[in-house]
Amino acid sequence: MSRPPSVIRQTIVTPIILIVVLLAMAALSYQFGSRAFNRTAIEMFINIMVVVGLYAFVGNSGLLSFGHISFMCLGAYMTAWLTIPPVMKSITLKGLPAWLLHTQLPMWVATPISGVFAALFALIVGRIIMRLSGIAASIATFGLLGVVNNVYSNWDSVTGGQGSIVGIPPTMNVWIGWLGAAVAIVTAYLYSISRSGLALRAARDEEVAARASGVDIVRERLVAFVVSAFIIGLAGAFYAHFLSIVNPGSFYLRTTFITLSMLVVGGMYSLSGAVAGVVAISVLIELFRDLEKGVSVGGLTVGLPNGAQEIAIGIITIVILIYLPSGLTRNREFSWRNWPLQRRRLVPPVQTALKETN
Amino acid sequence: MTLLDVDDITVRYGRLTALRGVTITIAEGEILFVTGPNGAGKSTLLNAIAGVVPTATGTITLDGTRVTGAAPEEIARRGFSLVPEGRNVFGGLTVEENLRVGTGMRADRKKITDDLESVYQDFPMLAERRHTTAGMLSGGQQQMLVIGRALMAAPRLMAIDEPSLGLAPKIIDQVYEILMRLRSQRKLTLLIVEQSSARAMMTGGRMILIRGGRIVLEGDAADMVKDERLKQAYFGFGDH
Repeated sequence: MSRPPSVIRQTIVTPIILIVVLLAMAALSYQFGSRAFNRTAIEMFINIMVVVGLYAFVGNSGLLSFGHISFMCLGAYMTAWLTIPPVMKSITLKGLPAWLLHTQLPMWVATPISGVFAALFALIVGRIIMRLSGIAASIATFGLLGVVNNVYSNWDSVTGGQGSIVGIPPTMNVWIGWLGAAVAIVTAYLYSISRSGLALRAARDEEVAARASGVDIVRERLVAFVVSAFIIGLAGAFYAHFLSIVNPGSFYLRTTFITLSMLVVGGMYSLSGAVAGVVAISVLIELFRDLEKGVSVGGLTVGLPNGAQEIAIGIITIVILIYLPSGLTRNREFSWRNWPLQRRRLVPPVQTALKETN
Repeated sequence: MTLLDVDDITVRYGRLTALRGVTITIAEGEILFVTGPNGAGKSTLLNAIAGVVPTATGTITLDGTRVTGAAPEEIARRGFSLVPEGRNVFGGLTVEENLRVGTGMRADRKKITDDLESVYQDFPMLAERRHTTAGMLSGGQQQMLVIGRALMAAPRLMAIDEPSLGLAPKIIDQVYEILMRLRSQRKLTLLIVEQSSARAMMTGGRMILIRGGRIVLEGDAADMVKDERLKQAYFGFGDH
């Protein structure tokens, strides 16, 4: 009768399915995709990391955050500081402390450091922000985004200011992208089934009842905030290696809103939703990017005007949310039973079932 | 031995005073019913003890420790478990997850699994539905779940706000039957808010009647029901 790990047994299928499906996508892209297509695939994997990181906080706590892209910024710049050859750094980033200026680490060392750096930063600011609730917390995270962006845009001697820092080794490929997405998915999954994740999801549903059950909401929110910052910090590091340039403008409003809409379109309270949302929106972006370039019809090239992509994605997002307000996955998880989406509603409420207690 | 000592507390919501100088004591193993008309301050009393609403004056002592002004989670850790009004299960979580949240603050992980099994023994209906989303349970089942969840915290004093609200009479009987069984099995002390004084009389125990934020009657439930003053206090006849 006693089955302690039943929570894991019930839910482990979800991350496995997600990771295997993504592996198949990586393999197909590697085998058949053009170079440009592969870059789109890498970008999609990085976005999966960001959105899954967002899910770890937003999905479990129910608080919307506009500030998480600042962790991506932190991770990306930390990677830049750690991996650009010292010769280049001494010209462009004179303000760096000597020990950092003369360090050059390989990607597999610099990336975890970047994630931990973002997580530590989240631990410090989160102690304050997590005391707030509801819209106040969301506005505070928005403030965080603004502050971080301002510092990185203007601290010229350390961040290169508005300009870009170049020289990050371009070591990304589809497989590393897939690996990053897998790490993000596993981390977010483990968090959401942990005691802290469970307590936070309970507080999301019923705050008073959760507190009366002994849940310290501020503390659990902080844990979620740090975990999500770590994942997104890693994503920032990968993004830096992907573009081999960093620029504060990449980590601001546009990225914030695209990633949030990916999360909302997929279904913000489920891990499957986070991944599905990124895949769906990425496919749309790619489709409209091609349409903007033009399609040749009998010698004539017909193309959409530039900017049509953003408008179309905005409209499609609205349409999806009108018909599926809880997202494409309707906040459910992928599982084997009831393929493809686990219905958690199989047992109908039975009024007379209480007889069984006698 | 006195388990809970509420001394002269006052609770205000803005300019509205919900409780005025309420004093109660509960001895270990006792049942105390809190009755009274709507808006009398019954739920406020429970929420004040649980730390969900702040008290303006007075002190609350739980098991010899002053808990006035402490956070709800802190008070829960000291052995006070509140089952709030309206059967608020964590709707998005499964039955088992709901029960596990009840243990959120406990360190003895090994014992948690044992407790889970013992709650399932008390409520076989929950065991069958352990992987069902709590939001899909019926009203009676949800009431069982929130009681089971409160038990997972291994409380000494359990406070239940209107366990019979919106349930069919037959189901209410079952809820009380289970509460009484748990009380004798686990040596629980119970503080129950109950609109129906007849129910309190049937069950037995001590009863207080609150009206307009004050305790107007106090005594043995069985005796009080016969008391003409109960009706007066409820309906406000006479010279209040």
